[in-house]
Amino acid sequence: MHIFTGKQDTSKSQAELLYDIQLRKERQFRANVALSWFVLLAILIFAFSGASITIGSTTYSGIQVDTQFIRDNLSFIAGGLGETIRISILSILLAMALALLAALGRLSTVPPIYALSTFYVSLIRGTPLYLQIFFFFLALPQLGIVLSGLVSGVLALGLNYGAYMSEIFRAGLSSVGKGQREAAMAIGMTPTQTMRRVILPQALRFAIPPVGNEFIAMTKDSALVSATGFVHELMWRATKVGRAQFHNLEALIMAAIFYWIVTLLLTYVQSIIETRLSKGDR
Amino acid sequence: MVPVVKISNLDKFFGHLHVLKNISLEVAERQVVCLIGRSGSGKSTLLRCINFLEEPSHGSIEVDGIIVAGGEKGSKHRQLVHDVRLKTGMVFQEFNLFPHMTVLENVIEGPVIVKGMDKKKAIELGEENLDRVGLLFKKDEYPMRLSGGQKQRVAIARALTMEPRVMLFDEPTSALDPELIGEVLNVMQKLAKAGMTMLVVTHEMGFAREVADRVLVMSEGEIIEDAKPSDLFNNPKDPRTKALIDRYRSGEQ
Repeated sequence: MHIFTGKQDTSKSQAELLYDIQLRKERQFRANVALSWFVLLAILIFAFSGASITIGSTTYSGIQVDTQFIRDNLSFIAGGLGETIRISILSILLAMALALLAALGRLSTVPPIYALSTFYVSLIRGTPLYLQIFFFFLALPQLGIVLSGLVSGVLALGLNYGAYMSEIFRAGLSSVGKGQREAAMAIGMTPTQTMRRVILPQALRFAIPPVGNEFIAMTKDSALVSATGFVHELMWRATKVGRAQFHNLEALIMAAIFYWIVTLLLTYVQSIIETRLSKGDR
Repeated sequence: MVPVVKISNLDKFFGHLHVLKNISLEVAERQVVCLIGRSGSGKSTLLRCINFLEEPSHGSIEVDGIIVAGGEKGSKHRQLVHDVRLKTGMVFQEFNLFPHMTVLENVIEGPVIVKGMDKKKAIELGEENLDRVGLLFKKDEYPMRLSGGQKQRVAIARALTMEPRVMLFDEPTSALDPELIGEVLNVMQKLAKAGMTMLVVTHEMGFAREVADRVLVMSEGEIIEDAKPSDLFNNPKDPRTKALIDRYRSGEQ
Protein backbone atom coordinates (compact mmCIF):
# COMPACT_ATOMS: atom_id res chain seq x y z
CA MET A 1 0.00 0.00 0.00
CA HIS A 2 1.18 3.47 -0.77
CA ILE A 3 0.78 5.58 2.29
CA PHE A 4 -0.20 8.73 0.40
CA THR A 5 -2.27 7.48 -2.50
CA GLY A 6 -3.87 4.54 -0.72
CA LYS A 7 -3.51 2.51 -3.94
CA GLN A 8 -2.70 -1.16 -3.91
CA ASP A 9 0.90 -1.72 -4.87
CA THR A 10 0.82 -4.19 -7.76
CA SER A 11 4.52 -4.85 -8.27
CA LYS A 12 6.05 -7.50 -6.06
CA SER A 13 8.87 -6.88 -3.67
CA GLN A 14 12.32 -8.35 -4.19
CA ALA A 15 11.75 -10.92 -1.47
CA GLU A 16 8.47 -12.06 -2.99
CA LEU A 17 10.11 -12.48 -6.39
CA LEU A 18 12.92 -14.54 -4.93
CA TYR A 19 10.40 -16.65 -3.08
CA ASP A 20 8.45 -17.23 -6.31
CA ILE A 21 11.58 -18.37 -8.12
CA GLN A 22 12.39 -20.74 -5.27
CA LEU A 23 8.85 -22.10 -5.33
CA ARG A 24 8.94 -22.65 -9.10
CA LYS A 25 12.25 -24.50 -8.82
CA GLU A 26 10.82 -26.79 -6.14
CA ARG A 27 7.73 -27.51 -8.18
CA GLN A 28 9.84 -28.31 -11.24
CA PHE A 29 11.98 -30.66 -9.21
CA ARG A 30 8.97 -32.51 -7.82
CA ALA A 31 7.46 -32.85 -11.30
CA ASN A 32 10.69 -34.36 -12.61
CA VAL A 33 10.90 -36.80 -9.74
CA ALA A 34 7.32 -37.89 -10.36
CA LEU A 35 8.07 -38.43 -14.04
CA SER A 36 11.17 -40.50 -13.24
CA TRP A 37 9.15 -42.61 -10.81
CA PHE A 38 6.65 -43.26 -13.55
CA VAL A 39 9.38 -44.35 -15.98
CA LEU A 40 10.95 -46.69 -13.40
CA LEU A 41 7.55 -48.20 -12.70
CA ALA A 42 6.92 -48.66 -16.43
CA ILE A 43 10.27 -50.45 -16.80
CA LEU A 44 9.45 -52.71 -13.86
CA ILE A 45 6.04 -53.56 -15.29
CA PHE A 46 7.56 -54.16 -18.72
CA ALA A 47 10.19 -56.46 -17.21
CA PHE A 48 7.49 -58.82 -16.02
CA SER A 49 5.03 -58.35 -18.85
CA GLY A 50 6.41 -60.88 -21.30
CA ALA A 51 6.17 -58.26 -24.03
CA SER A 52 9.17 -57.43 -26.18
CA ILE A 53 10.48 -54.25 -27.63
CA THR A 54 13.03 -53.75 -30.41
CA ILE A 55 15.36 -50.82 -30.23
CA GLY A 56 17.69 -50.71 -33.28
CA SER A 57 18.89 -54.25 -33.88
CA THR A 58 18.41 -55.52 -30.32
CA THR A 59 15.21 -56.95 -28.99
CA TYR A 60 14.48 -56.75 -25.28
CA SER A 61 11.86 -59.08 -23.94
CA GLY A 62 10.26 -59.08 -20.53
CA ILE A 63 9.96 -62.14 -18.32
CA GLN A 64 6.94 -64.21 -19.15
CA VAL A 65 4.70 -64.68 -16.12
CA ASP A 66 1.78 -67.05 -16.01
CA THR A 67 -1.20 -64.70 -16.04
CA GLN A 68 -3.62 -67.59 -15.72
CA PHE A 69 -1.99 -68.55 -12.41
CA ILE A 70 -2.25 -64.96 -11.23
CA ARG A 71 -5.94 -64.77 -12.08
CA ASP A 72 -6.65 -68.11 -10.40
CA ASN A 73 -4.86 -67.27 -7.18
CA LEU A 74 -5.42 -63.53 -6.83
CA SER A 75 -8.34 -63.76 -4.45
CA PHE A 76 -6.65 -66.49 -2.39
CA ILE A 77 -3.53 -64.43 -1.78
CA ALA A 78 -5.48 -61.19 -1.31
CA GLY A 79 -7.43 -63.02 1.39
CA GLY A 80 -4.28 -62.84 3.53
CA LEU A 81 -4.34 -59.05 3.69
CA GLY A 82 -6.81 -58.99 6.55
CA GLU A 83 -4.70 -61.39 8.60
CA THR A 84 -1.52 -59.40 7.91
CA ILE A 85 -3.19 -56.21 9.08
CA ARG A 86 -4.72 -57.94 12.10
CA ILE A 87 -1.34 -59.27 13.27
CA SER A 88 0.26 -55.88 12.73
CA ILE A 89 -2.37 -53.98 14.69
CA LEU A 90 -2.38 -56.43 17.62
CA SER A 91 1.42 -56.47 17.70
CA ILE A 92 1.83 -52.69 17.54
CA LEU A 93 -0.64 -52.28 20.42
CA LEU A 94 1.33 -54.74 22.53
CA ALA A 95 4.59 -53.13 21.44
CA MET A 96 3.40 -49.65 22.40
CA ALA A 97 2.34 -50.78 25.85
CA LEU A 98 5.66 -52.57 26.44
CA ALA A 99 7.68 -49.70 24.99
CA LEU A 100 5.96 -47.22 27.29
CA LEU A 101 6.56 -49.41 30.34
CA ALA A 102 10.18 -49.95 29.36
CA ALA A 103 10.66 -46.22 28.81
CA LEU A 104 9.15 -45.39 32.20
CA GLY A 105 11.35 -48.06 33.75
CA ARG A 106 14.36 -46.57 32.08
CA LEU A 107 13.57 -43.21 33.71
CA SER A 108 13.00 -44.80 37.10
CA THR A 109 15.41 -44.19 39.96
CA VAL A 110 14.60 -47.58 41.53
CA PRO A 111 17.49 -49.90 40.54
CA PRO A 112 15.49 -53.15 40.03
CA ILE A 113 12.95 -51.39 37.81
CA TYR A 114 15.65 -49.68 35.78
CA ALA A 115 17.46 -53.01 35.50
CA LEU A 116 14.33 -54.87 34.42
CA SER A 117 13.78 -52.35 31.65
CA THR A 118 17.34 -52.40 30.32
CA PHE A 119 17.53 -56.21 30.68
CA TYR A 120 14.41 -56.66 28.58
CA VAL A 121 15.62 -54.30 25.88
CA SER A 122 19.07 -55.87 25.76
CA LEU A 123 17.82 -59.47 25.65
CA ILE A 124 15.27 -58.83 22.92
CA ARG A 125 17.53 -56.66 20.80
CA GLY A 126 20.31 -59.19 21.16
CA THR A 127 18.38 -62.07 19.56
CA PRO A 128 16.76 -62.46 16.12
CA LEU A 129 13.06 -61.85 15.67
CA TYR A 130 12.82 -65.09 13.70
CA LEU A 131 14.22 -66.98 16.67
CA GLN A 132 11.79 -65.28 19.03
CA ILE A 133 8.79 -66.31 16.94
CA PHE A 134 9.97 -69.93 16.94
CA PHE A 135 10.75 -69.75 20.64
CA PHE A 136 7.14 -68.98 21.45
CA PHE A 137 5.74 -71.41 18.90
CA LEU A 138 8.12 -74.36 19.09
CA ALA A 139 10.10 -74.10 22.33
CA LEU A 140 7.38 -73.22 24.81
CA PRO A 141 5.31 -76.37 24.09
CA GLN A 142 8.21 -78.34 25.61
CA LEU A 143 7.34 -76.58 28.87
CA GLY A 144 3.70 -77.38 28.42
CA ILE A 145 2.76 -73.97 27.09
CA VAL A 146 1.13 -74.34 23.71
CA LEU A 147 0.42 -71.13 21.87
CA SER A 148 -1.28 -70.75 18.51
CA GLY A 149 0.69 -69.40 15.58
CA LEU A 150 -1.12 -66.10 15.79
CA VAL A 151 -0.51 -65.64 19.53
CA SER A 152 3.15 -66.65 19.18
CA GLY A 153 3.58 -64.22 16.31
CA VAL A 154 1.90 -61.33 18.07
CA LEU A 155 3.84 -61.95 21.30
CA ALA A 156 7.16 -62.13 19.48
CA LEU A 157 6.51 -59.11 17.26
CA GLY A 158 5.11 -57.10 20.17
CA LEU A 159 8.03 -57.93 22.47
CA ASN A 160 10.55 -57.28 19.74
CA TYR A 161 9.17 -53.97 18.53
CA GLY A 162 8.44 -52.93 22.12
CA ALA A 163 12.14 -53.20 22.90
CA TYR A 164 13.12 -51.10 19.90
CA MET A 165 10.34 -48.58 20.42
CA SER A 166 11.15 -48.00 24.09
CA GLU A 167 13.81 -45.57 22.88
CA ILE A 168 11.15 -43.56 21.02
CA PHE A 169 8.98 -43.29 24.11
CA ARG A 170 11.95 -42.43 26.28
CA ALA A 171 12.84 -39.59 23.93
CA GLY A 172 9.19 -38.49 24.01
CA LEU A 173 9.10 -38.45 27.79
CA SER A 174 12.38 -36.55 28.04
CA SER A 175 11.18 -34.04 25.46
CA VAL A 176 8.68 -32.71 28.00
CA GLY A 177 10.43 -29.99 29.94
CA LYS A 178 10.89 -29.94 33.70
CA GLY A 179 8.78 -26.76 33.84
CA GLN A 180 5.72 -28.77 32.83
CA ARG A 181 6.14 -31.09 35.80
CA GLU A 182 6.64 -28.14 38.11
CA ALA A 183 3.57 -26.34 36.79
CA ALA A 184 1.50 -29.47 37.36
CA MET A 185 2.91 -29.92 40.87
CA ALA A 186 2.28 -26.27 41.68
CA ILE A 187 -1.45 -26.65 41.01
CA GLY A 188 -1.45 -29.65 43.32
CA MET A 189 -1.39 -32.56 40.90
CA THR A 190 -0.19 -35.89 42.24
CA PRO A 191 2.68 -37.60 40.37
CA THR A 192 0.15 -39.94 38.69
CA GLN A 193 -2.06 -37.05 37.58
CA THR A 194 1.00 -35.19 36.34
CA MET A 195 2.07 -38.19 34.27
CA ARG A 196 -1.40 -38.92 32.88
CA ARG A 197 -2.64 -35.40 32.21
CA VAL A 198 0.51 -33.44 31.41
CA ILE A 199 3.57 -35.54 30.55
CA LEU A 200 2.09 -38.50 28.64
CA PRO A 201 -0.13 -36.56 26.22
CA GLN A 202 2.85 -34.48 25.15
CA ALA A 203 5.22 -37.44 25.01
CA LEU A 204 2.79 -39.52 22.93
CA ARG A 205 2.30 -36.68 20.51
CA PHE A 206 6.04 -36.54 20.06
CA ALA A 207 6.09 -40.30 19.52
CA ILE A 208 3.32 -40.60 16.92
CA PRO A 209 5.43 -40.10 13.76
CA PRO A 210 8.19 -42.56 14.71
CA VAL A 211 5.62 -45.09 15.95
CA GLY A 212 4.01 -44.79 12.51
CA ASN A 213 7.33 -45.76 10.95
CA GLU A 214 7.58 -48.77 13.22
CA PHE A 215 4.06 -49.83 12.32
CA ILE A 216 4.91 -49.73 8.63
CA ALA A 217 8.03 -51.80 9.25
CA MET A 218 5.98 -54.23 11.32
CA THR A 219 3.42 -54.93 8.58
CA LYS A 220 6.33 -56.28 6.56
CA ASP A 221 7.99 -58.17 9.38
CA SER A 222 4.65 -59.85 10.04
CA ALA A 223 5.57 -62.02 7.04
CA LEU A 224 7.92 -63.91 9.37
CA VAL A 225 4.92 -65.26 11.26
CA SER A 226 4.12 -67.35 8.17
CA ALA A 227 6.99 -69.57 9.27
CA THR A 228 4.77 -71.07 11.97
CA GLY A 229 2.65 -72.44 9.17
CA PHE A 230 -0.59 -71.72 10.93
CA VAL A 231 -1.25 -68.06 10.26
CA HIS A 232 -2.79 -67.55 6.86
CA GLU A 233 -1.48 -64.10 6.09
CA LEU A 234 -0.13 -62.80 2.78
CA MET A 235 3.25 -64.48 2.86
CA TRP A 236 1.92 -67.85 3.98
CA ARG A 237 -0.66 -67.86 1.18
CA ALA A 238 1.85 -66.78 -1.45
CA THR A 239 4.36 -69.47 -0.56
CA LYS A 240 1.65 -72.12 -0.27
CA VAL A 241 0.27 -71.71 -3.79
CA GLY A 242 3.69 -70.81 -5.19
CA ARG A 243 5.30 -74.02 -3.97
CA ALA A 244 2.38 -76.27 -4.77
CA GLN A 245 2.26 -75.26 -8.41
CA PHE A 246 5.90 -74.24 -8.81
CA HIS A 247 4.88 -70.68 -9.54
CA ASN A 248 6.85 -68.97 -6.77
CA LEU A 249 7.75 -66.11 -9.09
CA GLU A 250 4.17 -65.07 -9.73
CA ALA A 251 3.03 -65.76 -6.18
CA LEU A 252 5.81 -63.71 -4.58
CA ILE A 253 5.35 -60.84 -7.03
CA MET A 254 1.69 -60.72 -6.08
CA ALA A 255 2.46 -60.70 -2.37
CA ALA A 256 5.12 -58.03 -2.93
CA ILE A 257 2.60 -55.82 -4.72
CA PHE A 258 0.16 -56.15 -1.84
CA TYR A 259 2.80 -55.31 0.76
CA TRP A 260 3.93 -52.36 -1.30
CA ILE A 261 0.42 -50.98 -1.69
CA VAL A 262 -0.25 -51.32 2.04
CA THR A 263 3.04 -49.56 2.78
CA LEU A 264 2.25 -46.73 0.38
CA LEU A 265 -1.18 -46.24 1.91
CA LEU A 266 0.20 -46.24 5.45
CA THR A 267 2.96 -43.82 4.50
CA TYR A 268 0.35 -41.52 3.03
CA VAL A 269 -1.83 -41.68 6.15
CA GLN A 270 1.23 -41.03 8.28
CA SER A 271 2.21 -37.96 6.29
CA ILE A 272 -1.28 -36.54 6.81
CA ILE A 273 -1.08 -37.14 10.56
CA GLU A 274 2.36 -35.58 10.67
CA THR A 275 1.29 -32.39 8.88
CA ARG A 276 -1.67 -32.08 11.18
CA LEU A 277 0.47 -32.54 14.28
CA SER A 278 3.05 -30.02 13.13
CA LYS A 279 0.36 -27.36 12.81
CA GLY A 280 -0.04 -27.45 16.56
CA ASP A 281 -3.74 -28.21 16.70
CA ARG A 282 -5.23 -31.54 17.52
CA MET B 1 -3.39 -10.46 62.54
CA VAL B 2 -2.49 -14.00 61.61
CA PRO B 3 0.01 -14.01 58.74
CA VAL B 4 -0.92 -15.82 55.51
CA VAL B 5 2.64 -17.02 55.06
CA LYS B 6 5.02 -17.66 57.91
CA ILE B 7 8.49 -19.00 57.32
CA SER B 8 10.41 -20.07 60.40
CA ASN B 9 14.13 -20.78 60.63
CA LEU B 10 14.33 -22.06 57.09
CA ASP B 11 17.53 -23.61 55.83
CA LYS B 12 18.17 -25.02 52.39
CA PHE B 13 21.23 -26.92 51.26
CA PHE B 14 22.07 -28.04 47.75
CA GLY B 15 24.68 -30.66 48.58
CA HIS B 16 27.22 -28.70 50.60
CA LEU B 17 25.99 -25.37 49.30
CA HIS B 18 24.08 -23.44 51.98
CA VAL B 19 21.68 -21.42 49.81
CA LEU B 20 19.16 -20.27 52.43
CA LYS B 21 20.42 -19.45 55.90
CA ASN B 22 17.99 -19.51 58.80
CA ILE B 23 15.31 -17.42 57.15
CA SER B 24 12.25 -16.26 59.05
CA LEU B 25 9.56 -14.19 57.44
CA GLU B 26 5.92 -13.30 57.88
CA VAL B 27 3.61 -12.00 55.18
CA ALA B 28 0.31 -10.51 56.28
CA GLU B 29 -2.91 -10.79 54.33
CA ARG B 30 -3.21 -8.39 51.37
CA GLN B 31 0.48 -7.56 51.58
CA VAL B 32 2.58 -7.34 48.44
CA VAL B 33 6.19 -8.31 49.09
CA CYS B 34 8.90 -7.99 46.48
CA LEU B 35 12.10 -10.00 46.75
CA ILE B 36 15.11 -8.49 45.06
CA GLY B 37 18.76 -9.41 44.94
CA ARG B 38 21.49 -10.53 42.61
CA SER B 39 21.10 -13.82 40.81
CA GLY B 40 22.25 -16.62 43.07
CA SER B 41 21.19 -14.76 46.19
CA GLY B 42 18.55 -17.39 46.96
CA LYS B 43 15.39 -15.38 46.27
CA SER B 44 13.89 -17.86 43.78
CA THR B 45 14.79 -20.80 46.00
CA LEU B 46 13.06 -19.14 48.94
CA LEU B 47 9.92 -18.62 46.87
CA ARG B 48 10.01 -22.23 45.61
CA CYS B 49 10.37 -23.51 49.16
CA ILE B 50 7.01 -21.98 50.05
CA ASN B 51 5.10 -24.41 47.83
CA PHE B 52 7.72 -27.15 48.18
CA LEU B 53 8.93 -27.17 44.60
CA GLU B 54 12.13 -27.15 46.60
CA GLU B 55 12.04 -29.18 49.79
CA PRO B 56 13.45 -27.06 52.65
CA SER B 57 16.23 -28.80 54.55
CA HIS B 58 15.22 -27.52 57.99
CA GLY B 59 12.64 -25.16 59.41
CA SER B 60 8.99 -24.84 58.64
CA ILE B 61 6.55 -23.21 56.29
CA GLU B 62 3.09 -22.14 57.34
CA VAL B 63 0.50 -21.13 54.77
CA ASP B 64 -2.97 -20.12 55.93
CA GLY B 65 -2.65 -22.13 59.12
CA ILE B 66 -1.18 -25.28 57.59
CA ILE B 67 2.24 -25.91 59.09
CA VAL B 68 4.69 -28.11 57.19
CA ALA B 69 8.12 -28.99 58.53
CA GLY B 70 10.89 -29.18 55.97
CA GLY B 71 13.10 -32.18 55.31
CA GLU B 72 10.49 -34.80 56.13
CA LYS B 73 9.12 -37.70 54.14
CA GLY B 74 6.08 -39.96 54.21
CA SER B 75 2.43 -39.79 53.24
CA LYS B 76 1.45 -37.34 55.98
CA HIS B 77 4.08 -34.91 54.80
CA ARG B 78 2.97 -35.34 51.18
CA GLN B 79 -0.61 -34.60 52.18
CA LEU B 80 0.44 -31.39 53.94
CA VAL B 81 2.51 -30.32 50.95
CA HIS B 82 -0.50 -30.96 48.74
CA ASP B 83 -2.68 -28.83 51.02
CA VAL B 84 -0.15 -26.00 50.91
CA ARG B 85 -0.02 -26.15 47.12
CA LEU B 86 -3.78 -25.71 46.97
CA LYS B 87 -3.40 -22.50 48.96
CA THR B 88 -0.62 -21.08 46.78
CA GLY B 89 -0.71 -19.99 43.15
CA MET B 90 2.59 -20.04 41.29
CA VAL B 91 3.63 -18.06 38.22
CA PHE B 92 6.88 -19.11 36.55
CA GLN B 93 9.42 -17.20 34.55
CA GLU B 94 8.90 -19.52 31.56
CA PHE B 95 5.06 -19.52 31.88
CA ASN B 96 4.90 -23.35 31.70
CA LEU B 97 1.45 -23.43 30.16
CA PHE B 98 0.33 -26.89 29.04
CA PRO B 99 0.86 -26.75 25.25
CA HIS B 100 -1.59 -29.56 24.48
CA MET B 101 -4.51 -27.77 26.12
CA THR B 102 -6.40 -24.66 25.05
CA VAL B 103 -6.21 -21.54 27.16
CA LEU B 104 -9.46 -22.37 28.94
CA GLU B 105 -8.46 -26.02 29.44
CA ASN B 106 -5.19 -24.82 30.99
CA VAL B 107 -7.08 -22.64 33.39
CA ILE B 108 -9.69 -25.17 34.53
CA GLU B 109 -7.34 -28.19 34.66
CA GLY B 110 -6.40 -27.66 38.31
CA PRO B 111 -9.87 -26.97 39.70
CA VAL B 112 -11.44 -29.90 37.82
CA ILE B 113 -8.72 -32.53 38.16
CA VAL B 114 -7.16 -31.62 41.49
CA LYS B 115 -10.05 -30.09 43.41
CA GLY B 116 -12.79 -32.11 41.72
CA MET B 117 -14.77 -28.98 40.98
CA ASP B 118 -17.84 -29.29 38.80
CA LYS B 119 -16.72 -28.57 35.24
CA LYS B 120 -19.42 -25.99 34.60
CA LYS B 121 -18.51 -24.08 37.71
CA ALA B 122 -14.80 -24.30 36.83
CA ILE B 123 -15.47 -22.89 33.35
CA GLU B 124 -17.43 -20.03 34.86
CA LEU B 125 -14.63 -19.27 37.29
CA GLY B 126 -11.96 -19.75 34.63
CA GLU B 127 -13.67 -17.40 32.20
CA GLU B 128 -14.03 -14.82 34.94
CA ASN B 129 -10.29 -14.96 35.61
CA LEU B 130 -9.40 -14.89 31.92
CA ASP B 131 -11.53 -11.77 31.72
CA ARG B 132 -9.59 -10.28 34.63
CA VAL B 133 -6.34 -10.67 32.71
CA GLY B 134 -8.02 -9.43 29.53
CA LEU B 135 -7.77 -12.65 27.54
CA LEU B 136 -11.24 -14.14 27.55
CA PHE B 137 -11.34 -13.74 23.75
CA LYS B 138 -8.37 -16.15 23.48
CA LYS B 139 -9.96 -18.93 25.52
CA ASP B 140 -10.10 -21.46 22.68
CA GLU B 141 -6.59 -20.80 21.35
CA TYR B 142 -3.61 -23.01 22.02
CA PRO B 143 -0.72 -21.41 23.96
CA MET B 144 1.52 -21.67 20.88
CA ARG B 145 -0.50 -18.90 19.25
CA LEU B 146 -0.08 -16.42 22.09
CA SER B 147 2.62 -13.82 22.65
CA GLY B 148 4.86 -14.16 25.69
CA GLY B 149 2.93 -11.49 27.56
CA GLN B 150 -0.37 -13.20 26.79
CA LYS B 151 1.02 -16.56 27.89
CA GLN B 152 2.08 -15.11 31.20
CA ARG B 153 -1.34 -13.53 31.73
CA VAL B 154 -2.96 -16.89 31.05
CA ALA B 155 -0.55 -18.44 33.56
CA ILE B 156 -1.71 -15.87 36.12
CA ALA B 157 -5.36 -16.70 35.35
CA ARG B 158 -4.54 -20.41 35.73
CA ALA B 159 -3.05 -19.82 39.17
CA LEU B 160 -5.97 -17.58 40.21
CA THR B 161 -8.57 -20.17 39.22
CA MET B 162 -7.22 -22.41 41.97
CA GLU B 163 -8.45 -19.66 44.32
CA PRO B 164 -5.19 -19.42 46.25
CA ARG B 165 -4.62 -17.48 49.44
CA VAL B 166 -1.27 -16.23 48.22
CA MET B 167 0.28 -15.77 44.79
CA LEU B 168 3.96 -16.53 44.20
CA PHE B 169 5.64 -14.91 41.21
CA ASP B 170 9.07 -16.17 40.18
CA GLU B 171 10.57 -13.50 37.93
CA PRO B 172 7.35 -13.27 35.91
CA THR B 173 8.67 -10.77 33.35
CA SER B 174 12.27 -11.94 32.95
CA ALA B 175 11.58 -14.07 29.87
CA LEU B 176 9.57 -11.38 28.11
CA ASP B 177 10.49 -8.96 25.35
CA PRO B 178 10.70 -5.45 26.85
CA GLU B 179 7.56 -4.23 25.10
CA LEU B 180 5.49 -7.07 26.62
CA ILE B 181 6.52 -6.52 30.24
CA GLY B 182 4.03 -3.72 30.85
CA GLU B 183 0.89 -5.75 30.20
CA VAL B 184 1.95 -8.39 32.73
CA LEU B 185 2.92 -5.85 35.37
CA ASN B 186 -0.43 -4.12 34.87
CA VAL B 187 -2.30 -7.32 35.56
CA MET B 188 -0.19 -7.89 38.67
CA GLN B 189 -0.81 -4.36 39.87
CA LYS B 190 -4.56 -4.82 39.42
CA LEU B 191 -4.34 -8.03 41.37
CA ALA B 192 -2.49 -6.27 44.20
CA LYS B 193 -5.12 -3.55 44.30
CA ALA B 194 -7.84 -6.18 44.52
CA GLY B 195 -6.23 -7.31 47.76
CA MET B 196 -4.35 -10.44 46.76
CA THR B 197 -1.45 -11.41 48.99
CA MET B 198 1.60 -11.61 46.78
CA LEU B 199 5.26 -12.56 46.92
CA VAL B 200 7.14 -11.41 43.86
CA VAL B 201 10.72 -12.24 42.91
CA THR B 202 11.60 -9.54 40.42
CA HIS B 203 14.17 -7.31 38.81
CA GLU B 204 11.52 -4.70 38.00
CA MET B 205 12.45 -1.93 40.40
CA GLY B 206 9.67 0.34 39.14
CA PHE B 207 7.10 -2.31 40.07
CA ALA B 208 8.70 -2.87 43.48
CA ARG B 209 8.69 0.85 44.19
CA GLU B 210 5.11 1.48 43.13
CA VAL B 211 3.23 -1.66 44.05
CA ALA B 212 5.06 -3.37 46.90
CA ASP B 213 4.23 -2.79 50.55
CA ARG B 214 7.58 -4.27 51.51
CA VAL B 215 10.78 -4.97 49.67
CA LEU B 216 13.14 -7.68 50.87
CA VAL B 217 16.73 -7.65 49.73
CA MET B 218 18.51 -10.99 49.66
CA SER B 219 22.20 -11.65 49.49
CA GLU B 220 24.03 -14.95 49.89
CA GLY B 221 21.03 -16.77 51.31
CA GLU B 222 20.05 -14.12 53.85
CA ILE B 223 17.53 -11.33 54.00
CA ILE B 224 19.75 -8.32 54.50
CA GLU B 225 17.07 -5.67 54.40
CA ASP B 226 13.30 -5.58 54.83
CA ALA B 227 11.71 -2.16 54.43
CA LYS B 228 9.02 -0.08 52.80
CA PRO B 229 10.01 0.68 49.22
CA SER B 230 10.20 4.43 49.82
CA ASP B 231 12.68 3.94 52.67
CA LEU B 232 14.63 1.24 50.90
CA PHE B 233 15.10 3.06 47.62
CA ASN B 234 15.74 6.45 49.18
CA ASN B 235 17.97 5.40 51.98
CA PRO B 236 19.24 1.88 51.84
CA LYS B 237 20.85 0.88 55.12
CA ASP B 238 23.06 -1.92 53.90
CA PRO B 239 25.86 -1.01 51.47
CA ARG B 240 25.00 -4.15 49.45
CA THR B 241 21.46 -2.85 48.96
CA LYS B 242 22.83 0.47 47.85
CA ALA B 243 25.13 -1.22 45.36
CA LEU B 244 22.21 -3.26 44.01
CA ILE B 245 19.97 -0.24 43.59
CA ASP B 246 22.75 1.77 41.94
CA ARG B 247 23.29 -1.07 39.52
CA TYR B 248 19.61 -1.07 38.54
CA ARG B 249 19.58 2.72 38.24
CA SER B 250 22.48 2.68 35.83
CA GLY B 251 20.79 -0.11 33.90
CA GLU B 252 17.56 1.82 33.57
CA GLN B 253 19.20 4.79 31.93
